[in-house]
Amino acid sequence: MAMQPRIITRGSVLHRVGQLVLFGAFALFFVRAGLEGDRTGLGLLTDAIILATAVTGLNLITGYTGQISIGHSAFFGIGAYTTAILVDRGWAHGWTFPIAAIVAFVIGCIVGLPALRLKGVYLALVTLGLAVAFPAILNYEKLADLTGGPLGIKNLTYLPPDWTPFDGRADLHLWLFWLSLGIFLLVSLIASNLLRSRVGRAMIAIRDNETAAAVMGVDRAAVKTVVFGLSAAMAGVAGSLFAIKLTLVEPAIAFFTIIGAITILVAMVVGGSASTWGPLVGALFYTYVNDWARTQGEERSIDGLAGVIFGVILILLARFAPFGVVGLLRKFRARFVRVVPKPPVALAGDLPSASAPAEANPSHASTT
Amino acid sequence: MMLAFDSSLFIQRMVDGLGEGSIYAMLALSIVVVFRATGQLNFAQGEIGLFGAFIVSTLTLSDVPIALAILIAMVVGAVLAATIERVVIRPIEHRNPGAVVVASIGLFLGINQLHSMIWGPNARSLPSVFPNDADDFFRLFGAPVRWERFGIFLVLLVLLALLWVLFNKTKIGLAMRAVANNQESAGLAGIRVGGILMIGWGLAAAISVLAASLLAPQGGLSASLMFGPFLIASAAATLGGLDSPIGAVVGGLALGLIKAIIIGYVGFLGGDMVFTVSLMIILVVLLWRPGGLFGTVTVERV
Repeated sequence: MAMQPRIITRGSVLHRVGQLVLFGAFALFFVRAGLEGDRTGLGLLTDAIILATAVTGLNLITGYTGQISIGHSAFFGIGAYTTAILVDRGWAHGWTFPIAAIVAFVIGCIVGLPALRLKGVYLALVTLGLAVAFPAILNYEKLADLTGGPLGIKNLTYLPPDWTPFDGRADLHLWLFWLSLGIFLLVSLIASNLLRSRVGRAMIAIRDNETAAAVMGVDRAAVKTVVFGLSAAMAGVAGSLFAIKLTLVEPAIAFFTIIGAITILVAMVVGGSASTWGPLVGALFYTYVNDWARTQGEERSIDGLAGVIFGVILILLARFAPFGVVGLLRKFRARFVRVVPKPPVALAGDLPSASAPAEANPSHASTT
Repeated sequence: MMLAFDSSLFIQRMVDGLGEGSIYAMLALSIVVVFRATGQLNFAQGEIGLFGAFIVSTLTLSDVPIALAILIAMVVGAVLAATIERVVIRPIEHRNPGAVVVASIGLFLGINQLHSMIWGPNARSLPSVFPNDADDFFRLFGAPVRWERFGIFLVLLVLLALLWVLFNKTKIGLAMRAVANNQESAGLAGIRVGGILMIGWGLAAAISVLAASLLAPQGGLSASLMFGPFLIASAAATLGGLDSPIGAVVGGLALGLIKAIIIGYVGFLGGDMVFTVSLMIILVVLLWRPGGLFGTVTVERV
């Protein structure tokens, strides 16, 4: 150890400044992208933000509460289809978002019920079943009046409303970008406030030791069900955005199948599960690396090269960054700076290093 | 309205279901063998089997007899999987279980696309191990039963007998059971845990290669062949209990039969809904027995 890391207390001025700088850097990145307005580049960034919204939802139930779900593509699809069906029946696009969230919330609560009894891989497989069943249900001919069957629903373009500074169809990509970014920020705010509440502490307690949490008086059933619902609602809103960006929904869309569920899960772990910045970082990483691998495959026109490259990257990442990109950055940061929780008031005079164990497990460690 | 019950057709459908179920049972067995060793679902299990089936196809094209080709591919698949366990999975395992999931998804994607890279995107055909000419059938209670289907079930029975001997009568089998039960204690008792884990992955891969090679003659050999069967097999393993080999076999055969019954007799549901209905049945079973039909329910000590 050549250099001792500098110790910063959580909530101190220095810590706040650090948080602001990080937030500012991200804000600058997005505002710049939004002002430059390159159509293709912005489209890809919008995709990443939509994915990040869904990942934020999954992070609540899987990252923080420890209930593995490989079924979030279904909630994503439910949101998308709710918006599509309502727009098709003449609703204003904007009003379909809360409805999509509510529908996904209710279905999420119902799907969360097995989580009261099933654990780990068993729950994962039941949710995986949901992901597999969803496209089959969309294709089911008796529901074709509602879902449009294999053809799906088309013409969902959401032109910028009059109160926005955007100019109709020409600025459609800008409008979708800012709309997605706004909804992502709202969803992130709800998630981070939830995590700082009593429910948030209950969620983490259930993940770390369910029996102990129950003994301490945590209402496991209520917390699991409601968080499953909220998580589904966030994925649902992401689905709504997805539908209006694509302007159509149909059962064949990969994101509504198990592939979508796996994408959301991989993006979460790749970013760093149970971390504030994880969903955004993971979604950006996933979207851009996947796109890069695809370009490599196309340029060399070798069948399957894109998938092989991406697969190898995932394996290497799992090997060298088991706690995701955020975990890797945190490890790097720990060489220079150590953030410790504020000492309890009664011990305020003590050395801050007394609370060092908080850094022992990186998955629970602090954020900048 | 058809009221008369065609018993000959019924027997045929059941045998078809049994043949398909045997494939699910084999894949489910390999999923269970890995789960007992690693405590994780290996998403790449089906793809490892498919890789072997592609090797079989290459070998048969250079006139190696099909049965020998399958045996060679099983050995190759086993070596490949044991290497994967040692190089990819083990370094991650103790650090973060979530990362193991990502690694196995990476393996799934990588191996799946490797098939198109090496063997091209077009589907190939693979000869069947069993006689499958028009007159290769025998009669069971008057119903014609094709060897092609019934043979797969017989292979499953032979495989089960061999596995039973391996697990119960050999030292390696004893060590494998010990490691599945408790890795730490097994290590303290002098078992080389790492070696046993590699053998477990190798064994699972060999079984998957067998399953894929038996499925390919009917399904056509392409990169997408194993994804559906893998999902059904993992559902079957869950139904039976993820740590129970018997459960995997029962679950696999049950799902094969359920599929045959739904397609044959519950026509209004249509082909797409078969898996959905199977999942509903599994969900009900799991809510009744959270550890699956034959799985152990762990009792936690506080």
